[in-house]
Amino acid sequence: MTSDNRPASLAFPRWISFSKVVHRETIIGWLFVLPALLMYAVFVLLPFLLSIQYSFYRWNGIGPMTWVGLHNYETVLEVPNLLGTISNAFRLVVYFSFIPVTLGLVVASVMTRVATGRLGAVARTVLFLPQVIPLVAAGIIWGWLLALPGLINQILKAVGLGSFTRAWLGDFDWALPAVGFIGIWVLLGFCTVLLWTGMTRLDPALYESARIDGAGWLTEFGKITVPLLRHEIGVCLTVTVIAALAAFDIVYVSTAGGPGNATAVPGIQIYILAFTQQRIGLASALAVMLMALVLVVVIPIQRLSRESTQ
Amino acid sequence: MFKMHKFLSTVVMLAILVTVTYMPNAVAAQSVPDCGTEPVTLNAYFETGFDIPFKLAEEFTKQYPNVTWDIKQDQFTNLINSTPRLLSGDNPPDLIRLPTMVSFAEQGLLKNLDEYASAFGWNEWPVPQLNQNRVAEDGTRGSGSLYAMGLNYSLTGIFYNRELAAQIGMTEPPKTLAEFDDLLAKAKEAGLLPIMMWGSAKSGMGLAFPLQNLMAAYGPVEPINDWIFQKPGATIDTPSNLIAAQHLQRWIENGYFPPDINAIEYTDANARFGKGEGVFIFNGDWQNAGYDTDMPGNVGFFLMPPAEEGGSPAAMSAPLTFGIAARAKNADCAAFFFNWVASNDVARQINVAIGGSNPGGPSGLVMPEVPAGSVTNETLAAGVVVGEAGTSMDFIANATSAIFAQGWTPELQKMVGGRQDAAGLLKAVQEEYERELSE
Amino acid sequence: MKISRSELWGGRALLLGLMTITILPFISIFMTALHPSGTVPGGLEWPADPQWGNFVKAFNVAEMPALLISSTFIVLAVVPVSLAISTMAGFAIGHLRIPGSRLLLFLFVFGLTLPFGGIIVPLYYLERDMGIYNTRLAIVLPLIGLYMPFAVFWMRAHFVNMPTEISEAARVDGATIWGLFWRIHLPLARAPITSLGILMSVWTWNQFLIALVLVEDPAERTMAGALGAFQGHYATDVPLLCAGTILIVLPTLVLFVLFQRQIIAALLQGSVKG
Repeated sequence: MTSDNRPASLAFPRWISFSKVVHRETIIGWLFVLPALLMYAVFVLLPFLLSIQYSFYRWNGIGPMTWVGLHNYETVLEVPNLLGTISNAFRLVVYFSFIPVTLGLVVASVMTRVATGRLGAVARTVLFLPQVIPLVAAGIIWGWLLALPGLINQILKAVGLGSFTRAWLGDFDWALPAVGFIGIWVLLGFCTVLLWTGMTRLDPALYESARIDGAGWLTEFGKITVPLLRHEIGVCLTVTVIAALAAFDIVYVSTAGGPGNATAVPGIQIYILAFTQQRIGLASALAVMLMALVLVVVIPIQRLSRESTQ
Repeated sequence: MFKMHKFLSTVVMLAILVTVTYMPNAVAAQSVPDCGTEPVTLNAYFETGFDIPFKLAEEFTKQYPNVTWDIKQDQFTNLINSTPRLLSGDNPPDLIRLPTMVSFAEQGLLKNLDEYASAFGWNEWPVPQLNQNRVAEDGTRGSGSLYAMGLNYSLTGIFYNRELAAQIGMTEPPKTLAEFDDLLAKAKEAGLLPIMMWGSAKSGMGLAFPLQNLMAAYGPVEPINDWIFQKPGATIDTPSNLIAAQHLQRWIENGYFPPDINAIEYTDANARFGKGEGVFIFNGDWQNAGYDTDMPGNVGFFLMPPAEEGGSPAAMSAPLTFGIAARAKNADCAAFFFNWVASNDVARQINVAIGGSNPGGPSGLVMPEVPAGSVTNETLAAGVVVGEAGTSMDFIANATSAIFAQGWTPELQKMVGGRQDAAGLLKAVQEEYERELSE
Repeated sequence: MKISRSELWGGRALLLGLMTITILPFISIFMTALHPSGTVPGGLEWPADPQWGNFVKAFNVAEMPALLISSTFIVLAVVPVSLAISTMAGFAIGHLRIPGSRLLLFLFVFGLTLPFGGIIVPLYYLERDMGIYNTRLAIVLPLIGLYMPFAVFWMRAHFVNMPTEISEAARVDGATIWGLFWRIHLPLARAPITSLGILMSVWTWNQFLIALVLVEDPAERTMAGALGAFQGHYATDVPLLCAGTILIVLPTLVLFVLFQRQIIAALLQGSVKG
């Protein structure tokens, strides 16, 4: 909607031309946007562009920069340690994203059916709690619980699964899943509450008619709930995928990338490359690839989830 | 004649003028830098968990009230990551803990301490470890200009729990590697944990200590030091080192280390050892005060025995390295602090009592007294042995700024997990070393 | 809707089970924090002699007062400014529909996908050149910038839904644009602004990486930013570490319990309107 159909003549003396009014409003409007745009451009867009620039150089942060073209990108793709961080990031996506979304759908569905009153409200509050604490706190708490003498192993022993006990975060096979589990703990509440909100907006008449047609819970779920919640599911996936690919806080505090390179994720590697090893160019190349990766994964999700709305 | 008189007086006056102009410089060149009398605030960065620099700073202010301290402390890993930024920033520290220093010296971020060394006479100290803080023009360590000083000189070896050791029949420290292997096997049979160590990536892989001790037990220390000092052509992948690494692998496979070692942090390992878990632990004398507190009278120390009977024991012995930023505001005062730590009686006493390590310093100074029953007695005595044998080494973890985090730690963790063998370990670390040096 | 008994109880059991798993860690560290300093208790034992003093000890030794002040200062510097400029921008883009709105929106939304880790390195050098590195400003300014994508998007979503008739009527009465904004729309936007403010406060309080890299002295970071140094210091003393962790998460937990509806609503509505 533009100001074309507004009777400007009522508000302003006739001799001020219409285009001037529009022009003036545009300028003021842009002035409204300017502060936000400025902060964003200087502290987000500019570093983003600088990252791209640095990635083409070899630089230790202090001395001169040497142009190396695509060499840093080649290094990322060749050195197994670096390439491995990207595959670890994708493995985390399974834990941080797919599981919370799927489980969240189930839990939200259960909530709308059996816990519409106080139990539901309390459950939503409790499940959301991990969202509110700093991720580093989650890392520290779970680091303690997952240790050899920690609570998880104690529970395993108590239920007779004592042979499964181990130092989870120090085990080559289980460190990444353990970190993934921390992520599930943090993100499940978010997805559950988001999906529940979406579900409460669905028209119960749809379910009634489906039931009359003889549909079971699973069919209802697959043919009505999930498609209609496409938008919310898309949001859930987007947020959690970004959390997985960009993970830093939790990993830094619980395993620091170990053991070996089992939990080395791009976020941690960028930090080490840039600040310990002073290889700014290489760190920037990895950072650019990370950002490109996020876009490559998120854009299709957004497209798919947008088809019916707007 | 009048002219002659005038000429002579002019000459004399010139002579006086010249002398007066240059005399202050001559005097200054011989005077020793100090902290002056004006209020001075030393900007310092220390590592969390180590009391000794804090206590020394306190005592220094007591003796020199015009000097106050602005001390910031951070975790080891955070400090390593921040050091390049701190040194090149706008408020460079007067004193900063420096686990590695070659790249910083090369980039001109550290103050060259040669002038102070000659002013204070550090070059005459009978402490060979001073050389570990020298960096030559070509970037190799061990010779050249001095870029850092140690607050004390530590010694690394094997601590043991006396009670548990008696339980397995150890009456005196083993004299050969074979004897030590016997003791480890006996401990395992008796159901005890033979060796407590740490290995989480958060504090780094502690198995580097026994590995290096084994390397020095099987071979000479020069090649190891050459590799650490980045001498051209140096390699860690040598035949005798391979035997050492295989020996370590056997220890791992025999279950001599805790099963969850990859998740144990440094402080946890010491806490558990203090509570009686583990007969032996490879560690350094900086931990003496902690062990004396947790296990008073129950902890002993011995150097890693050589492979062959009668060989010289070798040990890692390194300065607790601190440096001064190149653009530090109070460099003179910081240098004076270095000198004070090594020569002042009270400082030396604190150093030995709390730091547990040799304070270095000029010859002729009395070694401070240590209470009987403290394990520091044994570490100081061992330090003398190593000094005389000339078999001290720096730490293999210090070869480059990232060799520990990117090389030793992940590869040793893999070896614990059965995913890496001795030959692969040395090759992988050497590759990482060469890759970093070529950048 | 008829629901079988098994579904009813099975569903409730599922919810209770998940709630237990969620809350167990909090309970565990709370109990552990009460054990005598220096011990290594199991996960879920109520101590024989609860050491409430551990909280006081952790409070003092971890320089909590300094951290509280530092975090509060940062929140007060970041949130009001962010609210102000994002509301103005959202108004311009969502309600005034100035030319270029679509491009601007796209530009801001792009920022939603940028991970902090991707830009932290150049941000460090940028701040050095600007001379603000290692000051609290070093955390404040980038956070304001980093919040803009979500905040502008969130406020725009609100303003887009405001009927134009209100503005029409006001303009007929001779209102200027600023008047429109200040007197009419701002009061109407009270709810989303409050929710957004609470959300940004929580995020700022929990900020870690930015504080870690851009401020050298742990005592000048946010509470979460100092947690790393705290952990190194107390790795042996588990009860004290647990006490310290509880103290650090307490402010946001309390805030959440008080404002849970607004926080949840804010987060969800912002996401859903995407």
